[in-house]
Amino acid sequence: MPVRCLSHCIFVCTLVCAAEAAAAERIDFAHQVVPILRTHCAACHADGEANGGFAIDTRGQLLESGMVVAGEAADSYALELIASADADVMMPPPDRPRVSGKEAEILRQWIDQGAEWEAGFRFGAARYEPPLRPRRVELPPAVDGRTHPIDRLLDAHLASRDPAAALSPLRPERADEATFLRRASLDLIGLLPTPEEVRAFADDDAPDKRERLIDTLLAREVDYADHWLTFWNDLLRNDYAGTGFITKGRTQISGWLYRSLRENAPFDDMVRELVAPPDDASAGFINGIKWRGEVSAGQTIPIQFSQSVSQSLLGINMKCASCHDSFIDRWTLADAYGLAAIFAEQPLELFRCDKPTGRTAEAAWLFPEIGSVDPAAPREERLRQLAELLVHPENGRTSRTIVNRLWGQMMGRGIVHPLDAMQTEPRDADLLDWLAADLQDHGYDLKRTLRLIATSNAYAARSGRDADDPLAGLAAPLAKRLTAEQFVDAVWRLTGTAPKKYDAPIERMAGDDSEPPARAALLVSTPLMRSLGRPNRDQIVTSRPAELSTLEALDLNTSAALLADLRVGAERLLAESPEPDALVEAIMLRTLARSPTADERQVMTDFLGPEPTADGVADLLWATLMRPEFLLVR
Amino acid sequence: MPFIPAPDAPEPIVRRDFLRHLAAAGAAAWACGEPRAIAGDASQQPAATADACIVLWMAGGMAAPETFDPKRYTPYESGVEMKSVLSTFPAIDTTLDGVRICEGLGEIASVLDRGTLIRSAVQPDLGSILHSRHQYHWHTGYVPPQTVAAPHLGAWMAKVLGPNQTATGRDVMPPFINIGQRLEGVGEKEELKAFTTAGFFGSAFGPLNLPYPELAAQSVRPPDGMTGTRYAARHRLLRDLAEAGPEADRISPHQRDSLLRSAESAYRLMSAPEREAFDITREPAAVQATYDTGRFGRGCLLARRLVESGARFVEVTTEYVPFLHWDTHDAGHETVARLHAEIDRPVAQLIRDLDERGLLDRTLVVLASEFSRDAMIEGQPGSGAKDQSRAKVDVITEPRHYGLHRHFTGGTSVLMFGGGVKRGFVHGRTADERPLVAVEDPVSVTDLHATILKAMGIGPKTGFEVEGRPFYVTEDGHGRPVEAVFA
Repeated sequence: MPVRCLSHCIFVCTLVCAAEAAAAERIDFAHQVVPILRTHCAACHADGEANGGFAIDTRGQLLESGMVVAGEAADSYALELIASADADVMMPPPDRPRVSGKEAEILRQWIDQGAEWEAGFRFGAARYEPPLRPRRVELPPAVDGRTHPIDRLLDAHLASRDPAAALSPLRPERADEATFLRRASLDLIGLLPTPEEVRAFADDDAPDKRERLIDTLLAREVDYADHWLTFWNDLLRNDYAGTGFITKGRTQISGWLYRSLRENAPFDDMVRELVAPPDDASAGFINGIKWRGEVSAGQTIPIQFSQSVSQSLLGINMKCASCHDSFIDRWTLADAYGLAAIFAEQPLELFRCDKPTGRTAEAAWLFPEIGSVDPAAPREERLRQLAELLVHPENGRTSRTIVNRLWGQMMGRGIVHPLDAMQTEPRDADLLDWLAADLQDHGYDLKRTLRLIATSNAYAARSGRDADDPLAGLAAPLAKRLTAEQFVDAVWRLTGTAPKKYDAPIERMAGDDSEPPARAALLVSTPLMRSLGRPNRDQIVTSRPAELSTLEALDLNTSAALLADLRVGAERLLAESPEPDALVEAIMLRTLARSPTADERQVMTDFLGPEPTADGVADLLWATLMRPEFLLVR
Repeated sequence: MPFIPAPDAPEPIVRRDFLRHLAAAGAAAWACGEPRAIAGDASQQPAATADACIVLWMAGGMAAPETFDPKRYTPYESGVEMKSVLSTFPAIDTTLDGVRICEGLGEIASVLDRGTLIRSAVQPDLGSILHSRHQYHWHTGYVPPQTVAAPHLGAWMAKVLGPNQTATGRDVMPPFINIGQRLEGVGEKEELKAFTTAGFFGSAFGPLNLPYPELAAQSVRPPDGMTGTRYAARHRLLRDLAEAGPEADRISPHQRDSLLRSAESAYRLMSAPEREAFDITREPAAVQATYDTGRFGRGCLLARRLVESGARFVEVTTEYVPFLHWDTHDAGHETVARLHAEIDRPVAQLIRDLDERGLLDRTLVVLASEFSRDAMIEGQPGSGAKDQSRAKVDVITEPRHYGLHRHFTGGTSVLMFGGGVKRGFVHGRTADERPLVAVEDPVSVTDLHATILKAMGIGPKTGFEVEGRPFYVTEDGHGRPVEAVFA
């Protein structure tokens, strides 16, 4: 694909991009100044080094030195040293590369503008560098009979952080059974439990009933695939309509993906088929979206490949490094292009900030310590080699990334947060590493990981913490908002209004009466689904919105289609249980998987009156669907 | 007839405290946390000269020589060579001395002295000149594709500024309203959706889409068949249930409040006087008639009412549908004559109305399009007269061949009124003979954005951090306002 110099380097960044336009503009500390200081000064004057008594870790240090006077470049001796031709005083010392005129000018302007510093920034704060290889953590002894591996790890972690936290009173209380049932059903198959399931679970006295519930849910392969398709479609930006399809610049992987989920295909096989597709069925992921017209160098198909593989499979944001060396992690332009060159059919020239560099990328993989891709090999072979490196026994990054995503789906927040920044220090490294190694050691069985999480005391704990609570999503789930698909499915199941047909080109069931109704995840997005947070899948999206916006609430308030569905459901419910008390019970069981409290029963029966009408029931359904308790998987 | 009982009715049913503050809470209704602002503190922002912005979008490529930048007029005549055609309309005088625009735009000509006409807007050639890509570029400031979903210009204003509280002293109005564009059932709908979005800001800052102005009231009204009394009772029931259930103590207060606050905000809008703004039938019949040239005209009336009630950014489009309206690939002259009639009266009346109400000084109105058109010039080097056109002829022998049928990015007109821009000013100039490119003071999309944003008090380097990277309101923060257009 031809690439023109359009200067759409999206995220600007850099020296090169910005300096040309910089004259008299406000200097951007993070993107213009930091790279200069890091390159030329930090080695001797930061991170504990203070040669000549001059340190630049913080703005305070910089100014205290007297070498830099904020707002007065002319009085800043540091600039004189940088400009000096005298080998005795010049900085950096004569044996090191010079600060260019352009860079010196940026520093001068920056100082004149007040030498502003990004709040909280410091040089030399040691960057966390995550391990690459798998780490097989020895499980700590169980405390107080909490034998589940996740709980053993978490208990030990919390105890090491704060010995007092090891005391059981500080451990999160368990969620009640009904809450657990609703949570597990929504998390594993995306559906609310039916009243029959609620009753059966309540009536079950066996001590292992929670484990059996998890196994039962995971065994419902169609429901499981219907639900998890949403997560994977977001992660692999697969959809049934969207940009690119109009010109056949994009293909679906829906059929392959659905089958993989249904069969619980080993994750390493999925990675192999995504990255080195044996046929067209799974090729859509690496082939990306081919746009009409010309695109910036940062969005060519090979670069999309580099970004998608990095983000989806490794939790690496390669978007910065596809334009210039990243400022936020260790990845460089050469890394981004090296990965892209594995995919590229033609020699791939490096573009820096959308400008050609004259250098040709050589196919290379990001972690050479465990192996390499042969740049001389044909493309298919290169892709195959990359796929094998991604799931190499000594590669713990891929497995950490996926178990962290699964943890995030189940617990509301990743062990590493954010999910796409796997270079961040995990909240509990032992837990992450243990889960990742367990996945690798057990045939990359994703359901096994889900089962592990879902059977832990951590997952069973009461939610209710705020997102800023450090234990939220770690020792107890952080309540999650229903996804658009879960909400729409809930309405359809509650009211019996689910459509029969769906858009996803998948093999689901025979299509006879035994086939369950369609699920929202299988349909092209609707305005309501979009409103409720289903993304346009032009980009990879790995987390959905946690909040309900006013516009979404407005849609839910005004939607005639929703009201019509609720009315249909109301008539059905009325036919089944015309008597108010029974009706209230049925609605509560179907929506919140529990019986009403006395207060709730009072409010609801008062509202319905002695002879409930379909409108009244529809409104009661609506009010229930809008309750925070309903809108959350808690 | 009001459809909801009096909004000031007290709600005695609130039994506990936790809902009480929600009923009062408003300021946060249209705003929530991430992503993190990296710039844009008040000290760096320009002083706003406008409180609201209306974009009148000529979707599909409005030919400047057929509208606001007339060139030599070549009347229709069988046998005329296509290459001799620059404009198919004669020029008429305007209230601005020496400035002429095309016949058919007489009403706009009569208010031209109240605004600024930029004749030198230019767009990049994105390889091939494609509507959805240029529309994406114009509306987000970035050329697609992007590695993150870029927010629409209106979403930036919603995010940075929120609703315009100077209008009513309240904040119940959705800040970003998009009138006239259907996103379902039209060609290239996925491409339209790609930029009609708040992108990484999240749907809280996205548009309230009102494709049919005459049905807009339905968007803030209970569904058909539901009385106001019933609607209010339903909402009271939600509050009662949230009070009675475990929401009060088993759900994190932040999550609970945020979910309930949105429901309350929606209720507030639907029971507040602002809801009337969505109902254009409340205008006197004569006013409705003045505006009613079609959906676009009705949209202009709706936009005026919404801005009066606190909307921050309203876009009204003639609607993009491939090969329709301004996407004149065929029968250009005839189609543009119809479009003149569609836009002339409502645009002029919008300006007059805002001016009379004293609102024009603080409302920026921008009329623009993704690119211009020409009878001959195509975007791709080497492309000929037969590209991009359905009227594939070099010599005109029938009326449907008469018109500007090809895309052109070298010189486009943008009309601006109010909000701090000069009254009675022309900026930039295009050549008088083909190619009709901007020959003085070209204005890029990035700089045009910076100009619009400056009027709204948003500096071009205002940005947010997303995925650890800065994302600026103008492309890479590089926009420079066209200072010459400001009064």
